[in-house]
Amino acid sequence: MRLELQKITKQFPGVLANDRISISVDRGQVLGLLGENGAGKTTLMNILSGLYRPDSGKIFIDGKERVFRDPAQAIEAGIGMVHQHFMLVPVFDVTESVVLGNEPTRGLLGSFDRATARKQVVELSERHGLQVDPDAKIESLPVGVRQRVEILKALYRKSDILVLDEPSAVLTPQETDELFEIIRGLAKRGTSIIFITHKLNEVIAVADKITVLRRGAVAGETTPKKATSAKLAEMMVGREVQLTVKRSKSKAAAPVLQVDRLRVLNDDGKLTVNNVSFDVRSGEILAVAGVQGNGQTELVEALTGLRQSDSGTIKLGGQDLTNTSPRVIASAGVAHIPEDRNRDGMVKGMTVAENYILNTYHLEPYSSKGVLNRNAIAQAAEQAVRDFDVRTPSIDTDIATLSGGNQQKVIVAREFSRNVKLVIAAQPTRGLDVGSIEYIHKRIVEQRDAGAAVLIVSTELDEVLALGDRVAVMYEGKVVGILDAKDATRERVGLLMGGIQK
Amino acid sequence: MKKSPSSKLRTSGPKRVNAPRNAETGARGQLSVEAQKGRFRSRIRAVMFGAFALLSGSVAAGIWGVDGKFSFWVDKVGGTETSFTIGVGPLWLGITLAFAASAVLQFVRGAAFRWRLAIGLIAPLLVFGLLARLLDGTTANLTVFLTNTLSFAIPVGIGAIAGIVAERSGFLNIAVEGKLLVGALVGSVVSSVTGIAFLGPIGGALIGALISLFLAILGIRYKVDQIIAGTVINIGAVGITSVIFQRILQPYREFNNPVNIDPISIPVLSDIPVFGPILFALSPYFYIALGLVLFFTYMIFKTRWGLRLRSSGELPSAAGTVGVDVVRLRYRAMLIAGLLAGFAGSFISLGGTGGFAPNSSAGKGFIALAAVIFGAWNPIYAFGAALTFGMASSAASLLAGLGVKFPPQILGSVPYVVTIIVVAGLIGRVRGPASAGQPYDQG
Repeated sequence: MRLELQKITKQFPGVLANDRISISVDRGQVLGLLGENGAGKTTLMNILSGLYRPDSGKIFIDGKERVFRDPAQAIEAGIGMVHQHFMLVPVFDVTESVVLGNEPTRGLLGSFDRATARKQVVELSERHGLQVDPDAKIESLPVGVRQRVEILKALYRKSDILVLDEPSAVLTPQETDELFEIIRGLAKRGTSIIFITHKLNEVIAVADKITVLRRGAVAGETTPKKATSAKLAEMMVGREVQLTVKRSKSKAAAPVLQVDRLRVLNDDGKLTVNNVSFDVRSGEILAVAGVQGNGQTELVEALTGLRQSDSGTIKLGGQDLTNTSPRVIASAGVAHIPEDRNRDGMVKGMTVAENYILNTYHLEPYSSKGVLNRNAIAQAAEQAVRDFDVRTPSIDTDIATLSGGNQQKVIVAREFSRNVKLVIAAQPTRGLDVGSIEYIHKRIVEQRDAGAAVLIVSTELDEVLALGDRVAVMYEGKVVGILDAKDATRERVGLLMGGIQK
Repeated sequence: MKKSPSSKLRTSGPKRVNAPRNAETGARGQLSVEAQKGRFRSRIRAVMFGAFALLSGSVAAGIWGVDGKFSFWVDKVGGTETSFTIGVGPLWLGITLAFAASAVLQFVRGAAFRWRLAIGLIAPLLVFGLLARLLDGTTANLTVFLTNTLSFAIPVGIGAIAGIVAERSGFLNIAVEGKLLVGALVGSVVSSVTGIAFLGPIGGALIGALISLFLAILGIRYKVDQIIAGTVINIGAVGITSVIFQRILQPYREFNNPVNIDPISIPVLSDIPVFGPILFALSPYFYIALGLVLFFTYMIFKTRWGLRLRSSGELPSAAGTVGVDVVRLRYRAMLIAGLLAGFAGSFISLGGTGGFAPNSSAGKGFIALAAVIFGAWNPIYAFGAALTFGMASSAASLLAGLGVKFPPQILGSVPYVVTIIVVAGLIGRVRGPASAGQPYDQG
């Protein structure tokens, strides 16, 4: 079917999320919808799936105007969504998950006809080459297979238009390739596909047509044949972008951080970091790659004192920091840029200045004898705002009102304001605009050149390859390989991320 | 079955990293932490079963040769009594053997042993044994004992179904207690005013539904914390029913003089000696409760409604994005829960006590929630738990009535102690609906 969105506009308090956006996709076509976080992609798709109503604008399917009041009507019209966060009940099995909402029934009481449902799911998965075990519990399946279940869900509802929202975020590069094959197969059989992403190489690889969104509006349309990564990035950001980080060769010296046979449990008591050992040397960046949820979060939490480790040691320049407190670790010279800045990086509702001194407020000159020195704090914060180019009306502004990029700059300014021996940066550029990404990368490389040891954890392979002097790969709680930058090719790191070793 | 495209990759040469994939075995054949914990828990259970075996064994040895006297009504309630004696020693020997067998099976079979079922089967025996041990020469009428058990288990069991339906939909139904109490009051008043027996339970059910709707609006529409909203209703119910009782029901007795719903004797079957009066001359509420248990077990686990109900309690966004109206589903579940709880409440004032008394729900709504947890959100198991709790309570009141020198509160506290042990997760984990208590935001 042909889908056309005409001049869709959606205003949220303070943000024009969608500004007269028009896009279209033909039968059997793959539309790559490219844009940074906050460009309006997700809002547009929520309108298409019936979760939001547009303020103005129209939706046409095969030339006929359609209005969706709720998700059921969008499904009815043939639109299937594969959400970024899977919408699957962990304790259900595959059959139940696929048919939920359109269950075959029999009898007066509406008994669930499991046998029929199972047969339909098996048939569907065979027809589209999407192998799954219809009786497996969702919680026992790896993410790649869960995504297949999500696609089956859409196909089961006879969706002719399939929308995939950032589908590669949780996949290894190889799983992503498999996904691309599935997408091409579906398109060949006539399904129209909208593929939403912020990754340039993915749209080039899979799309027939590319529409780029910027700040809520269409910034341009092109095809993969005509487009290059650089040109797409420019369309996405609105100016020329440096895609690689400029940096000199690392002058690695003595080890600063030494992690030895570290074991960490997650909240459910499951062993999530399993016997991990590595060093980070002064003047080098060690980048930890891995698909989300392979123990990186728990590793960083253990290194920064936010989580007790089960066994093993963590040493900083010879000082044992295993299972000490975050304050001890911070004052030993560790800067921490946390993975989830909303939860661990800042206190919303407090000002930029207050957030700037969050881990030094108890020290001279910011306080003496337990009383805060407002003047000293203001002076230091003003300086930091200038140095780190934080765009804020004043230092007394609530940090919650700043953009993600500026919030992250405040955090980076705070962490780099001390004498830093080790930088631990987890997902330092997640959800940021390209300008802020460039800036933060530059600052991190500066710290390295000043002699700090840097540990970066990222699920973005591009970031890992751009910054890492050495690349460590985590898979199911283990470090399955540490490569020098020259050996760390996309393919090799990608295979390791999937747990496959040569 | 595991023929995924990635398995093709696996066989095509490169070696897969040997890391834990499933919960049972880890990298080098070691147990994963999860499996270790599971094994730890089942060891603890085995030790506990063993400890109970030793304990009951010593009881058996200590009172060998003592007899417990019991009696039954042979023909009808209050009719000819026949009494018999049981050796207390052999009875406790039986309990000891049951515990010992469970300990052994638990140790050998590990996680596969159905320990919950074992406890469920031994518990009635244990209560019975305690009763026999504590009788101290007096005679206990077992027909009375069983009738009391049921009159406790009926409101608790139906209240538990109310809790299950609500929580499976994602709403924490803390207010079962309040609905029982108001259902009891309104049931009595409606029955008294109309003089028609079956209108009492209907009145109770309707007021329960009304309160439930109010609670649902607070929790779903205004997103008030469900535990706080439920607590408010529980406290409000005590206050309002007490005031109404003092100001209206006491001065005007005609408002609290309901048509009791008496046990019905099923023809022929109830004439069977001994068993007739126990099994076939019971309150109609009991037969209805059994029907409700079977009906809702089927509905929750075998129908489309149940599938959607459960999905809404586990991950409401999964249901919402495939077009299930989660908000409406939760309202409906709360209405059903209210009907059930109010109906259960009407039993308290109409099932033989001759009217409403202040605070007569006496915590049964909370014990119902304990039965929900012990029954793992399954109506049949929860009703079994309600029956066991009922036996404990019945034994407590029987002993108190006989003047036995044993604090009956200890037996009365059994449901709570058992629930705390289960909830604490020391001996095993129960997993309730993942999203119960969290409001759902559509879009």
